[in-house]
Amino acid sequence: MSTGRCRRVTRRRFLTQSGLTLAAASASSLTAPFISRALADTKSLSIVQWSHFVPEYDKWFDQFAKDWGTKNNVAVAVDHIPVANVAARAAAEASAQSGHDLFGWNGAGGAHLYRKFLVDVTSLVEATEKKYGKVSTIGRQIGYNQDDKTWSALPDFYINFPAMYRKSMWDEIGIKPDTWDNVRIGGAKLKAKGHPIGISLGHSNDPNTTWRGLLWSFGGALQDAEGKKVTLNSRETVEAVKFVTALYKEAMTPEVLSWDDSSNNRYLVSGIGSMIVNPISAYRTFQKANKKGADDTFVMAPPKGPVRQLMGGASEFYGIWKFAKNKEGAIEFLRYYVDNWPEAFKASEGYNNPCFSNLVPKPMPILSNDPTSTPNDKLAVLEDSDQWSASPGYPGPSWPAVDEVYNDFVICDMMSKAATGEMSAEESVKWAHQQSEAIFTKWHGKT
Amino acid sequence: MAVIAEPVAKPISRSQFILDRREVLETILVAPAILYVLLLVGLPLLLAVYYSLSAYTIYNPTWKFVGLVNFEEILQNPTFIDTLLNTFVFTFGSQLLGLVLGKFGAFLLLQPFPGRKIVRALIILPFAVPVALATIAWQWMFDSLYSVINWTMIAAGILTREEAPNWLGNPYLAMLCIVIINAWRFFPFAIVIFLAGITAVPQDVIDAATVDGAGFWRRNYQIILPMILPIMAIGLIFGIVFTFTDLSIVFLLTMGGPGGATSVLGFAGFQTGIVSGDVSHGAAISLFMLPVLLVVVIFMLRFIRRREI
Repeated sequence: MSTGRCRRVTRRRFLTQSGLTLAAASASSLTAPFISRALADTKSLSIVQWSHFVPEYDKWFDQFAKDWGTKNNVAVAVDHIPVANVAARAAAEASAQSGHDLFGWNGAGGAHLYRKFLVDVTSLVEATEKKYGKVSTIGRQIGYNQDDKTWSALPDFYINFPAMYRKSMWDEIGIKPDTWDNVRIGGAKLKAKGHPIGISLGHSNDPNTTWRGLLWSFGGALQDAEGKKVTLNSRETVEAVKFVTALYKEAMTPEVLSWDDSSNNRYLVSGIGSMIVNPISAYRTFQKANKKGADDTFVMAPPKGPVRQLMGGASEFYGIWKFAKNKEGAIEFLRYYVDNWPEAFKASEGYNNPCFSNLVPKPMPILSNDPTSTPNDKLAVLEDSDQWSASPGYPGPSWPAVDEVYNDFVICDMMSKAATGEMSAEESVKWAHQQSEAIFTKWHGKT
Repeated sequence: MAVIAEPVAKPISRSQFILDRREVLETILVAPAILYVLLLVGLPLLLAVYYSLSAYTIYNPTWKFVGLVNFEEILQNPTFIDTLLNTFVFTFGSQLLGLVLGKFGAFLLLQPFPGRKIVRALIILPFAVPVALATIAWQWMFDSLYSVINWTMIAAGILTREEAPNWLGNPYLAMLCIVIINAWRFFPFAIVIFLAGITAVPQDVIDAATVDGAGFWRRNYQIILPMILPIMAIGLIFGIVFTFTDLSIVFLLTMGGPGGATSVLGFAGFQTGIVSGDVSHGAAISLFMLPVLLVVVIFMLRFIRRREI
């Protein structure tokens, strides 16, 4: 006979006990989202940016971000995507209201287009200006909103487009390609010797940037300083287009019509090209492929035009999504990143150019004394590149209409249509003006 | 005497009764497929239609209805008409070339030869290789500096460097290049279609024609081809729809250049809607494909039905 007495299970008792058990069991699962959300908010930071043309920079950046994460107990994930995919990725993240915390844009488009999706970083930019000097003109064009004087993005760096020429070839004809006229005259002579000029007339970023630079040098521009009116149809633009037609016929070959961003690099490395206008990645590639050829390649400020000396630049900037899970972490990271910017500059081998005046004190490392170059001050001209670099909207702001003209390759096609004889210079300018005006009218109604 | 209770028939549940009705069961079984199509095809399509009638941009994501303004603006742009024409040339040019290659490929693969099975498997490669990889390989072949085609012709003494074709820099050649690449991607599919069709033609029909004196060409064009037309038309519908909406080859190879000569609707819609952020105009550009594709598909399906009857 058992002496133990089982306690009678009453209905009340059953309900109480099962209720408590259920509550205990579900407590963890009920609170889990809040706990994990809280952890996610403070313990992770995701960054996406383009795959840099200098791969060593990506390696440096990944380690730099990881180290910052370790110090601050934040798991940092950095994704690198091909440059051509940046715009589509940004559109996808904005539409889904989900994605990376920190978005690194490249080239045209970005801060002004996604303005309503981005955290206002005015205080961060102002603090950086206080510490590291005024933001340059090209930096201001990147992320500044003129209407309410706020910043949608932190200017990271810009890529300048200097001229690179084979010194021995140009010395042989006794001309220096320092003005666009000299480029045409010397280019014609060198083409006759089998060494034409190589500036792309195709559909990619380089021609979009280069031909804008030439247009500005001749006094033409896509828009006015306020960004209200298309100003393309002008005598200056016609002159610029006529010049490009002559340059194409006299100093270049039809190959340039199909070039992508890497073609001019290969053209220089092949030993055929006598001059290109490109970021110094072309020179770095040459150094790795043929040191002797690279030593003979000199880097200079872009050629002067009849009105000014100016060239396009590709801007890079960081925006923080409003829907980011870790906005504070993103700002903290950017603050730390700015404080360590000279390291980034070195890691990019002088490719990333600062947007704040004192961010990298002059003489700048690498540019003033590059041990891999002969002579070692060959890149020193790039120290002042902010004086001859501008964003696609110059002399006005960058805004969605300017981006669409850029993405539709209107300026490149204006030049190529005239160069190939498909249209006269006047017709081609009129065509480009109409295209641009339609785009501007459309966006004026939407911004 | 024991009374054994008669077994009581279990009442048929109401749900069982409903499931016994053929039309109800059909509906239930087909419902997931319909739901799937509605959710994954119907909704995005409706969304795209609404985008095209709205003022929606990434800058200002508003659902404001603007009617057909976007379409009017697009039609006023002469560049768009060129893009539309390019799309037709690209689509029908590559389909025609793909069909010709597919037909000859199928005939070759019907002939017995050692290693035929391996060749049949390998022929699928262009269809299976990711478009990005394939296009990059083609880009090298058409490269302005390092074109392997030009190099071979120059090395063979057929051309000088100055005479070598500027594949992607000449508007006509650039269009030819994208047509060739798309046909190259499509032809294995065409081969499969032709192989399936030809092998389904009864041998006695072919034998009878041969006995009656029909030669190779007559057998092919008066007997085999008419018999396989319906299945060929299905393949063609797929090819046209996929090519008309494709942007990958253009995006990877020419970016619409030179001077807009290879810009097609898919590419233009992507550049405007996604890259430039003008979603409403991008959607409107893309939706120009819809009536064209609808007409093509309806015409071809009617044709197939008539042939089958």
